[in-house]
Amino acid sequence: MQESPARRAVLLAAAAIVIGQAAPAAAQVDARAVIDRVDRLLRGDSSRGVATMEVVTEHWERRMTMEIWSLGADHSLVRLRAPQREAGTATLKAGDDIWNYLPKVDRTIKIPASMMGGSWMGSHFTNDDLVKDSRLIEDYDVELVFDGDDPDGESVWEFRLTPKREAAVVWGRIDYRVRQRDDMPLVAKFHDEDGELARTMEYGAWAEFGGRVVPGVMDMRPADKPGERTTIRYEELEFDIDVERSFFSLRTLQRGR
Amino acid sequence: MRGSPWRRIGWRNLGRNPKRTALTALGLAVGYFAVVFMVGWSEGIVAELIENSTSLVSGQIEIHHAEYRPERSLYDTIGGRAGADFEALLRAIDADRAVTASAPRAYAGGLISSGEATSAGMLLGVDPAREVRLTRFLDPLVAGVLPAAGRNELVVGDELARQLAVGVGDELVVVASGADGSMANDLYAVAGIYRTGLVEFDASTAVMPLTDLQTLVVLGPDRIHEIAVATADPSTAAATAARLSATLDADGRAVTVAPWTELNPVLREYAALADSVYLVFIAIIFAVASFGVANTMLMATFERRREFAVMLALGAAPRSIVGIVLYEALAIGAISVAAGAAITVPLMAWFHVAPPGLGWLYGDVTIYGALLTPSLRVGHNVPVWTWATVGLVLTALAAAFYPALRAARTPPADTLSGI
Repeated sequence: MQESPARRAVLLAAAAIVIGQAAPAAAQVDARAVIDRVDRLLRGDSSRGVATMEVVTEHWERRMTMEIWSLGADHSLVRLRAPQREAGTATLKAGDDIWNYLPKVDRTIKIPASMMGGSWMGSHFTNDDLVKDSRLIEDYDVELVFDGDDPDGESVWEFRLTPKREAAVVWGRIDYRVRQRDDMPLVAKFHDEDGELARTMEYGAWAEFGGRVVPGVMDMRPADKPGERTTIRYEELEFDIDVERSFFSLRTLQRGR
Repeated sequence: MRGSPWRRIGWRNLGRNPKRTALTALGLAVGYFAVVFMVGWSEGIVAELIENSTSLVSGQIEIHHAEYRPERSLYDTIGGRAGADFEALLRAIDADRAVTASAPRAYAGGLISSGEATSAGMLLGVDPAREVRLTRFLDPLVAGVLPAAGRNELVVGDELARQLAVGVGDELVVVASGADGSMANDLYAVAGIYRTGLVEFDASTAVMPLTDLQTLVVLGPDRIHEIAVATADPSTAAATAARLSATLDADGRAVTVAPWTELNPVLREYAALADSVYLVFIAIIFAVASFGVANTMLMATFERRREFAVMLALGAAPRSIVGIVLYEALAIGAISVAAGAAITVPLMAWFHVAPPGLGWLYGDVTIYGALLTPSLRVGHNVPVWTWATVGLVLTALAAAFYPALRAARTPPADTLSGI
């Protein structure tokens, strides 16, 4: 039977489609899956940890030690252990609300909406950073923009996260650089709505905590204040601990330590 | 009215129809009154805006660290990180002849909470004794007393008190960022409640003694953000600021001495704009009045055309006829000015000293950050009065010019033969 040119063309086209689909599939990463893993890395379903937070500003430097509990993305409780003068100061996040407990005056105050952009505990993080700590893949579209070696010779992916149309998020764009060999985040660059770099978060000192390898140090540098930074260093961290939702209550907040 | 016969004829003609003369003069007099009064009222509003914006809360002059405005950072205190001997500065400022009061202030942003409700607010540290001589908002208070130093007391605006649902004697938690990075917080008792009428200010600002605020936010006792200065006359603030700047060696100390015209440029421009609009007022009102005068004069000259014809037939120059009519207009102008002044001066004096309030009509109004209590208060503006007087006389003359020309062109033979 003589093969008609038309028939050959169809076969070729079919082959091209099959090959065309298969070839990228081998190299392509599931960008959403990687970002989701990165996002869940430091969260777990629940966690408890002890961290030091070092804040360096143009005017002062301070170091705080804090104990942190979390449950999912919606609940967390942070209590200062040091410095002594402020020990016991605590922050409760439940859903969209934040309360601060002030041991000196033994009062709890709810942070008003107008102050959500204000500094949290004097750091470069804002109260919004705590509240808007939602799942990245729910609020952002993820796009792979780079696949190759970084200047250190490490194979990395770079993802660009742009907010979905209806997402109520602070950032206009987030650029994530993720290490290929273990899906560890290296750098995240947060851009405002005008595309201007607002802050850079660097991850490092990977170590095993509670059976997982996580970055032990996170270093946040605001772009508009050169030389300033907030560094969080984990000393203890355990995941999937036995903690109930009822733990994240005003009563626990006020109980102090 | 001595001198040329034409002048005398012009003057006497006023008596030819006294009612008409009186009505014409009254029209001009009311126009004069309208100009002076409208300008005066506008002037009064501007004066009150300036006075309120510079004596209610802020001063007419404010002295800051050169870097303080516009960011208003907690760290940019006068004299930098070391602070300054501000008592000495205050003495130097008070020594200026135009200065009536001066007061030190410190600012910090913070949270003010009653427990149930929390507001983002501004903490203002003042020297209460000096502050009440400088500004009006703390004296009188709506309720309570001024806060005493060292007793953790503050006063809040009535709107803030309402939002936080607190009254005198209640307790508030104040949280602020300390200058050392700490989360400064303490409990304070509400000693009093003030009201400026500037809703934003009343809803956000808590005032406490300067030393208490310095203690809370961990600023040294020599560190303040502002010295507010009051002068006897807001219009001389810029000159006084320049003088203080030299006295205090502002450049050497890295401080800026800013008058209200610099601190509130919008208000300054409004005042300048109002000034330029006055001449437009004058032109419009007198333009309207001039048609009234022209009509009257036209009627009057038409009535007298036989008289003019006789004069012309007897050899009077047309120029003299023009002169008669213009003199008559000039005389009406003079009478109008006298009548206008007679109406205007007592009313202006009354409205200036005891302006009838319009609060029942509008309530308080806030314009360009300045509170305005609507009233018919009027201000002085001597140049405008002069312009109004000149304008009135010119109007009378201009309006009479065409009737005068027509009178001068009366054809004697035709007119006298009754055609």
